[in-house]
Amino acid sequence: MKGHNELVKKRGLSIRYKILLLLTSLPLITLTVYLILALRIFEEDKIAYVFDSSSRMSGTMAAQIKTQLNGVLGTTKPIFQDYLSQQKFSSVGESIFQNEFNLEAIVVFKPSATGAYERSAILEKVPDQTAGVLAQLQNHMPSYFAEVEASRRVVKVPRNRPFAGGSLALFADGFGSQSDVTTVEKEKALGAVQILIRKSLIFFGLLISVTVILSLFASSGLTQALTQLFDATKKVAEGDFNIRVDVKSSDEVGSLADNFNIMAAEVSRLLDQTAEKARMESELQTAKTVQETLFPETQAKIGPLAIAGYYEPASECGGDWWHYCQIGNKIFLWIGDATGHGAPAALITSAAKSASTIIERLNITPAKALELLNRSIYDVSKGRIMMTFFLASFDLETGELAYCNASHEAPFLMKKGEGPLKKKDLIPLNEVNNPRLGQARDSVYEQTTIQVETGDLVFFYTDGIPDIQDPAKAAWGEREFIKALIAANKDFPGVSDSVERFAQSFQAHRQGAPLIDDVTFFVVKNEGLS
Amino acid sequence: MGKLDVKMNKAADKLTVQMAGTIDEDVDFSQFSLGGNPQIEVELSGLKSINSCGIREWIKWMGTAGPAQISFSNCPKVIVDQINMVDGFLPATGKVSSFFVPYYNDDSGSEKNVLFRYGTEFTEGGVTPPASVKDEEGNEMEMDVIESKYFKFLKK
Repeated sequence: MKGHNELVKKRGLSIRYKILLLLTSLPLITLTVYLILALRIFEEDKIAYVFDSSSRMSGTMAAQIKTQLNGVLGTTKPIFQDYLSQQKFSSVGESIFQNEFNLEAIVVFKPSATGAYERSAILEKVPDQTAGVLAQLQNHMPSYFAEVEASRRVVKVPRNRPFAGGSLALFADGFGSQSDVTTVEKEKALGAVQILIRKSLIFFGLLISVTVILSLFASSGLTQALTQLFDATKKVAEGDFNIRVDVKSSDEVGSLADNFNIMAAEVSRLLDQTAEKARMESELQTAKTVQETLFPETQAKIGPLAIAGYYEPASECGGDWWHYCQIGNKIFLWIGDATGHGAPAALITSAAKSASTIIERLNITPAKALELLNRSIYDVSKGRIMMTFFLASFDLETGELAYCNASHEAPFLMKKGEGPLKKKDLIPLNEVNNPRLGQARDSVYEQTTIQVETGDLVFFYTDGIPDIQDPAKAAWGEREFIKALIAANKDFPGVSDSVERFAQSFQAHRQGAPLIDDVTFFVVKNEGLS
Repeated sequence: MGKLDVKMNKAADKLTVQMAGTIDEDVDFSQFSLGGNPQIEVELSGLKSINSCGIREWIKWMGTAGPAQISFSNCPKVIVDQINMVDGFLPATGKVSSFFVPYYNDDSGSEKNVLFRYGTEFTEGGVTPPASVKDEEGNEMEMDVIESKYFKFLKK
């Protein structure tokens, strides 16, 4: 048999943590999905906005640059023409330069044999003011002219003020059609998205914290009741059925707790009932053992009289009783049936047996014996339980049977004749009848006598025999009872055979069905003195 | 409805009681008063069984009738058996006006209850059974009782 610990499976994650996990993971997953979708839409919208504003700004800048370049070219054209005609800046060109406030310097570069561009002439308002810019320009010159060669129309102007980290570049596509490209660093362009992510994460953190706290609060209320129930069921599994749980919630868990308490109380009550039943069964078994001592040996031979009997109670204890004893030269034959059956009736039979033990010593007639027995039964039961009784005394010398009946089933005298026993040969011993024992305290009883010849049989019985039922609850009935009695004694057999044959007949009808009343009978035969 | 059905009808100075069912330890006769009636007729054809505890209650109940003349009619075998066996089952002032006698044919298995009426089939002196009792198929039937036992009460 498995022990309690073996029967209880090892448990995994507590239901409390499962609830907590569920309550926190659901909003977390939902909000994360929402954030991803929202950020994607927001980012696309932001990129579109940046593109739109940058393109407009580029167009504006291109127009301004174009105007400024045209202005510069218009202003510097005479100076360049002067230089080209003189191969140097003349006074005319220098005069024009000095009068143009917007010009700070004009420099002429010439390609050298190495491919680099060398400065060959310069006009400047302040000497060396533009040295840095010119040096930078000189360095980029080869690449600029490479592009000029490639596009034939492009003039590139270096930036003298790098824009926002130097990643903005302006390209002038000739003087007539200029286009600008604006590039913006993604981190800067989408800075708002990063802010949104940060704020969202903070909000998420707060939300999850609140969810966890609320979940802990809610789940503890739920799991506290379940934990109580769990602990209680463990106690029940250990055999403690007096455990009760105190759950005040009115939801399903509360109903579960109420039902658990009802179930535990019912199991406890049934256990008590079973223990009580076992105790009573034990006591009944003891009573049965004691009652068995009230009955005589089932077979006896006293002088010419042979006796054999049968007794089977309907339950542990029975209300039937039979007995025989020798008093002087008389054999007393006792049979009685207390009202009902079971333990109460068995107590009355015990009283009858006790009284009979004393009465046997008095050497009195059956009628007087029943008067005394009646007082004894009445005093014990106070009229609540009565007993039918038949008492006979057989005279060993004369063969005379004196009998007194207290409303009991009349025994049958079976007179031995020439042929086999017939129905008309059954003589009921019913010439006298008297009140049942215990009906009234001072009842007077009468008796009569009949001769029992050698070979004659007398069948004593209680009323439980015709009531014997088969498994279909069909009673054996008086007709079958009489038939079986005649069949068992048709050849006037010995008492043992008589009892055995008769018992076989009703057992064949009964087929193992339970008795509804106690069954008692005995047969006496005057076998004569050999 | 319990195991016993009792109908009581009082007309003039005669109480008629009709009983059907089973008389056992559960019966409560206290609700059926017999007192104060000079004549009582008890009809028992519907009575099916009576056990030893029922007998005790019956005798107590009959005792409440006092000096009334009680007539028992249509007594089934279960009642006749108790009248024969139990002293006091039939009150001192009680008379059986009619009772059933079971007949049977052993060959065909047919059974019949024949009503014996006072003055016709029986008197205080003895029984005058019908000369012949036949079943529906015309088979001769015999009495299904031990006569010396069943008719014993008539000699009291």
